[in-house]
Amino acid sequence: MKVDVLVIGGGSAGLAAAVSAARAGAHTMVVERHGMLGGMGTASLVHTFCGLYLLDGDRPEIANPGLCEEIADRMTSSTGLGPNKMGRVWVLPQHPVEFASLADQLVRESGVEVLFHSELVTLEPGWRAEIVCRGEKHTIEASSVIDASGDAVAASALRGVADPTPAVRLQRPAYVCGVQGIEGDLNSLAISGRLVEGTRSGDLSKAALGMHFRGSGRPGEVFGTLDLSAEETGDYDPSEPACLSALEVTGRQVAQQIVRFLAKNQPGWEKAYVAHWPMRAGVRESRSWRGRYRLTGDEILDGATHADDVALATWPLELRESNRGPKLRYLREARSAGIPAGSLQAADFDRLFVAGRCISCDHEAQASIRVMGTCFATGEAAGRMAAEA
Amino acid sequence: MLASMSDTCRAEDVVKMLREEDLFEVPANITAASDLFDLGMDSMAVMQLIVIIEERWGVALGAADASRDSLGTPEKLAATIQARR
Repeated sequence: MKVDVLVIGGGSAGLAAAVSAARAGAHTMVVERHGMLGGMGTASLVHTFCGLYLLDGDRPEIANPGLCEEIADRMTSSTGLGPNKMGRVWVLPQHPVEFASLADQLVRESGVEVLFHSELVTLEPGWRAEIVCRGEKHTIEASSVIDASGDAVAASALRGVADPTPAVRLQRPAYVCGVQGIEGDLNSLAISGRLVEGTRSGDLSKAALGMHFRGSGRPGEVFGTLDLSAEETGDYDPSEPACLSALEVTGRQVAQQIVRFLAKNQPGWEKAYVAHWPMRAGVRESRSWRGRYRLTGDEILDGATHADDVALATWPLELRESNRGPKLRYLREARSAGIPAGSLQAADFDRLFVAGRCISCDHEAQASIRVMGTCFATGEAAGRMAAEA
Repeated sequence: MLASMSDTCRAEDVVKMLREEDLFEVPANITAASDLFDLGMDSMAVMQLIVIIEERWGVALGAADASRDSLGTPEKLAATIQARR
């Protein structure tokens, strides 16, 4: 197989990268490990698009015109839900089921070739990629490659060009599940109080204090998001299969315990049940690329701009180094900060681009740029750059 | 921490606790009447808050107390804690 642009990973960044490269005229292929596109927004049930809009303001203002706006509009027409303001930030509720279909439609319309159930195993400059599907290897030749894997998988295949974040500082992962059968309004505050009562009585483990619920927009359905410490098997290491495995099992165990407890103790939850497990726990951070430019958290807080900016970051630094809830550091004065082309280009290789949460940046900047709205924007930019390279 | 259990809980004690615990970014100009939810307190922070209140003041708040009326401002929260001691 021979293509112009090969995109590794079909999450929010890879989807946008593939669509934008194809629309720019490149023969484009995306390789995705699951059976659907959307990544965190589908497989991990993350149900909010963050980073689409400028900070503050009386009304939502799209930060990056183009695909971000198009995806937001299509999502709103599927769900009937528009943006809402949470504190100082505007967010768009999204439904993972709608997102998967919307992504299929986007790639079909733009002529992107999609290979599901496939993972990258080797990559050689030139570019020659080997992917594996159910034990069988396939070779793809490409003029340009975009690593939108979230974990800098292509960098791993090339050795030594990605930087792991030290375990102690890594953003903690989230385990999101779908719950149905809930009657009446969701009273999040009362539920918080109820969960503390459950940990006091010994019905719930302490890990239950990492859980919060949000309505999905569908009748009787909510999403439960559980922040985990992920230290069941020692230090948290999202590249270690044993660690990831413990995370999945703990997530299910704690979430199931909570929903059963609420069904017994919380009015309106009598008929509640877990309706969906995620395909995988939501990893927020692992490795980042070493690019031509390394974006820092201070630059984001300062609203810095660069001559080669290709996208805007608007989300606060959302630090989750513990499972005790986020610490938000807002941009000091500006409503956005520039993400330069250099942070989407591999340092030591030509025609190798990166998009999404593993672009070249420090741990603090990653706490802002990792959100899906910004991943669409870096994806779109990387797709354009790869098509023009 | 246990020493404070014998003291009266006032709004300024709540503000001091919020600064020390760093559940959300507490602005310099916070007052007894500031809306804690507007400042960024969410349902997860409320869980941590209830646990901290039990540690500091020995008051076990639960689902019935988890509302804007009972803990939405430093002054409301101080009154809730005081009433339960």
